Amino acid sequence: MGVEGGEVRRAPIFFIAVILIMLVMSIAAFILAITVYLTQNTVEYMNIILSASAILLSIYLLLQMRRRTLGPSLEPLKVLTVIRCVGCNYESRREFERGDYILKEIGQCPKCNGTLYIHSIFREVKEKEKTY
Amino acid sequence: MFTETLLVSIQQPSASQDYMGWIFQVIWILAFIIVWIYGQRIQTTLMLKEIEGSLSKLKAMRDRSRQITISAIKEIGKPNEDPTARIDRLLEHVDIEPVSLDPTGIIRRLEHIIDVREFRFKDEVRQMAPQADETQINNLTNVLEAALALNQIYKIVRHYYLMGKKTLSFYIILQIQMLLPLIMRESEAFANAIKAFTLGQPIGDGAGALVAARLMHGREKRLISKDTIVSEVDIDGRKAYVIKAVGPGGNVGKPGEAIRQILEEKEGRVALIIIIDAAQKLEGERPGEVVEGVGVAIGGPGVDKYKVEEVAAKYRVPLSAILIKEGIEDVVSTMRKEIVDGVEEAIARIRRLIRENTKEGDTVIIAGVGNTIGIAQ
Repeated sequence: MGVEGGEVRRAPIFFIAVILIMLVMSIAAFILAITVYLTQNTVEYMNIILSASAILLSIYLLLQMRRRTLGPSLEPLKVLTVIRCVGCNYESRREFERGDYILKEIGQCPKCNGTLYIHSIFREVKEKEKTY
Repeated sequence: MFTETLLVSIQQPSASQDYMGWIFQVIWILAFIIVWIYGQRIQTTLMLKEIEGSLSKLKAMRDRSRQITISAIKEIGKPNEDPTARIDRLLEHVDIEPVSLDPTGIIRRLEHIIDVREFRFKDEVRQMAPQADETQINNLTNVLEAALALNQIYKIVRHYYLMGKKTLSFYIILQIQMLLPLIMRESEAFANAIKAFTLGQPIGDGAGALVAARLMHGREKRLISKDTIVSEVDIDGRKAYVIKAVGPGGNVGKPGEAIRQILEEKEGRVALIIIIDAAQKLEGERPGEVVEGVGVAIGGPGVDKYKVEEVAAKYRVPLSAILIKEGIEDVVSTMRKEIVDGVEEAIARIRRLIRENTKEGDTVIIAGVGNTIGIAQ
């Protein structure tokens, strides 16, 4: 079953089996329609259309299944630290380092010798523009 | 041309078409019979397969979070003995809510249970991580809380899955399958939170705390209640008591108790209370969007909210709320840029609210609510 022990299953075997059977059958039907055309010179439009669409559908379902079950999304995030000066408008950005926190004082300003502090820490997320 | 050929091919079927026609008819009849007799069973099996897939994913997240917790405690706390057994015991920790049959005094009893739980967790972490300072202990406690949440979610989903499999009850399986997308979103948020807590990064829930931190930056502070500080700040000629939890460790403090104490000290002579907190956005809303309202914007079990409502009603002090909207996946994940922008907008709104609703010389209370991990003062 793979719930209590073992590794993460990528996709249910049952679904893959059904889709693969559908794919094999539709390829067989397509080959049969082509053979009829080659031997009898008759174009079986209905069979060609049905079998071709079944092939496409099963490929689409296989791809969808693969995309849906890629495992937990624990990819590392890009986190930025923004540093500002208390006295002037100096600002710099760098990647987050362990020990950083907001309002931590981290040295002197190269422009005015004022105190530099961490103004903000954030991750940037790219999202599609919504029109609704 | 195509239509004509198609019509001819349909009207005058060839031998192979006839043969295939029979096959298709038999397949259709078989499919109809199977769906008619076993329809619900097939649907149940499909749903169980879907739950099983999600359950495997939940198990992977649970195991990974447990592993990260053990590594973090070993790395930061430098324990003398292996903390694995202790962590495993804590991951099975349960909280028993107070009896609600007689609701009198339930808030006081609930607060006591919450306090005991918090004390117990921090004490366990302190014993496991003797080299960790107070900030790191708070952060490690947060890591443990997130791992505990993932373990609980996994076990509940597994319970429904196994129960559904055992009984083959369509409705038991249906209810967990319907909730699964929301459960997975929340679980992924917790899985991401583990990393943020380990590194001590500010999280989305800390939006309110960040507002308060900005306002009190560079001012005198004093401890007012457990893990909570207050600072007196002048805003446009008004005296503002700004409240937040003590950072940069992972803390929520006791903002309700702090507001109650200030109001009692001032005998109710406060013109306005403004509470800023992160709030869950609706789908379609922009993260970091700032909205205003009235009432006590304090989430959680309701102890702090109750205290503020009680004391504000006693002295008839107006309550304003400023909410910074964010998705469920952002609440416990590293703070995103839009929320930081929302914080700046919330500060501007606080100033406007104070200007419009109070006069010079008045006293106001501003409380930034939320987990202050990664945010000092």
